Amino acid sequence: MSESSLLPTRLDSCGEQTVVLSAHALTKDFGRLRAVDHLDLAVCRGDVFGFLGPNGAGKTTTIRLIFGLLYPTTGYVQVLDHRVPDQRQEALRHLGGFVDDPTFYNNMTARRNLRLFGEMRGGVSEERITEVLELVGLAGRADSKVGSYSHGMRQRLGIALALLHRPELVILDEPTSGLDPQGMKDVRELIRELGHQGTTVFLSSHLLHEVELVCNRAAIMNKGRVVVQGPVSTLRPVSSTVKVLTADQSKARETLSSLFGAGNIREDEEYLVVQADDELVPEMVRRLVADDIDVKALVPAFDQSLEDMFLELTARSEDK
Amino acid sequence: MGHVRRELIKILYQKRTYFGWAGLFIVPFLITVAMRLSSEGPPPPEQGGPQFFELIRLNGSYVAVGSLVALVTFLLPLLAAMSGSQTIAGEAENGTLRTVLMQPVKRGAVLAAKWLVANIYIAIGLVILAVGSLIAGGSIYGLKPMMLLTGQTVGVGQSLLLVFVSYCFVLLAMATVVSLAVFFSTLTNSSLTAVATALVLVIIMLVLGSLNVFDFLRPYLFTHHFDAWINFFRSPVDWGPLRDAFLNFAVWIVVTMAAAWFRFTRKDILS
Repeated sequence: MSESSLLPTRLDSCGEQTVVLSAHALTKDFGRLRAVDHLDLAVCRGDVFGFLGPNGAGKTTTIRLIFGLLYPTTGYVQVLDHRVPDQRQEALRHLGGFVDDPTFYNNMTARRNLRLFGEMRGGVSEERITEVLELVGLAGRADSKVGSYSHGMRQRLGIALALLHRPELVILDEPTSGLDPQGMKDVRELIRELGHQGTTVFLSSHLLHEVELVCNRAAIMNKGRVVVQGPVSTLRPVSSTVKVLTADQSKARETLSSLFGAGNIREDEEYLVVQADDELVPEMVRRLVADDIDVKALVPAFDQSLEDMFLELTARSEDK
Repeated sequence: MGHVRRELIKILYQKRTYFGWAGLFIVPFLITVAMRLSSEGPPPPEQGGPQFFELIRLNGSYVAVGSLVALVTFLLPLLAAMSGSQTIAGEAENGTLRTVLMQPVKRGAVLAAKWLVANIYIAIGLVILAVGSLIAGGSIYGLKPMMLLTGQTVGVGQSLLLVFVSYCFVLLAMATVVSLAVFFSTLTNSSLTAVATALVLVIIMLVLGSLNVFDFLRPYLFTHHFDAWINFFRSPVDWGPLRDAFLNFAVWIVVTMAAAWFRFTRKDILS
């Protein structure tokens, strides 16, 4: 990853493409707490844009600001040509989605709920309601009360509502949360399909793996700030991490500390986790063997947690 | 009108809507049966008793009026407070407020529709109360020409008209409680808190209105004007207290709804 990509992307990063959604120095304070801190963001037409961050990073607050549910302390959101909150109504005509868990009227059926919310937008036919219910696999339960729905079914109904009026931009907040593996797979395929059809999708998630699977561009947010944004392929940090298992871990730790520095070695259960650039890995093995330490396993640590990555990226940003 | 229709649909899907209406339907039957079974009537007017009650035995039409006397200080304000508090806080509590406001709707229009439907709920409740009263009173005592408080007698048709006008007045009186509850509903995400706050304020007003030391406050307390409808049952109608009541209710409704609008259109939706 290039050094420049550690900085938030400029708003003209869409080049020839239309910027569907942008945030401009967007800030939201709750009393003394700054939940979103001068956020700049650009989502281009056709993007399946991942919005990554750990719990409490400010993702949901940002989405609420986009939907005009919250008023920004400073800055603004722009959806196509419409500023939020000033032109909230016009902006919402182009948006669909949900924030937190999708919520509905429990005493009504799924179809009745969609009809009710569809009427607020206008131009939503019964055929379209049936179509979106089929799309999310709820056609068989369309006439059941939402109160009888499981969490996963509500998530799917939330997606159905998001797509009801064929919006230009679909914003989904943790849409696979609470779904079983098959449900997760279905939703991810649906998001990919939306992307292929040209719908711009803004996917909030705390799962790096999920974003890598379905998104082409992403931003990582931490403590209210965007730490990095750009193509998904460039998001992982420069250094690689490997897990080492030897016959003598304490001796191996001494050897590796002398090679990489003690700060780059840590323990993870029975493994030593070594922060090392790819080209140094063969040298690492040679040194261990030279010190008569039997190497039992050497595993690329691709499952580096998002939190670790945030720490690294944040540290790098601060260094700059 | 689309917002109003949708809000109506929402309340019609809630069970508590029907419990409230059922309660209003039952009360006049309870009053009528109680009067039928009671060997002695309520205390006479000069001892502070509700003068309409003792007339029920003579004429079933008075059940409709007696029901108002019985309910106007608590059950109707309770229903009005519940209805008003559900508007914003109830939806916030269920999380559906954000789903509504994520649609391209004007917050002010949503608030106005919710206020109107909360009042329609009370209006339907009053119709049910009136119908229940006329059925209960008519079936046991019959509907006869009504004697006014000033001694004149009016025919059944005119007495029903007076009952109708009195119920319309009480609807306006309850609109003050609805408006107050709507305002509190914009301040909290708990409908129970909104109901309790509105009711506590109504009770405080009732207490203040009953204490002579605070008599200078009475003209400003909307609860003080709740029974001004009695003046319709005089001939000629005493318009003075009615005018004061209309003015008082109008000011309370406008001020509380303006405050509710100001708050709701600037509110961060965190529910």
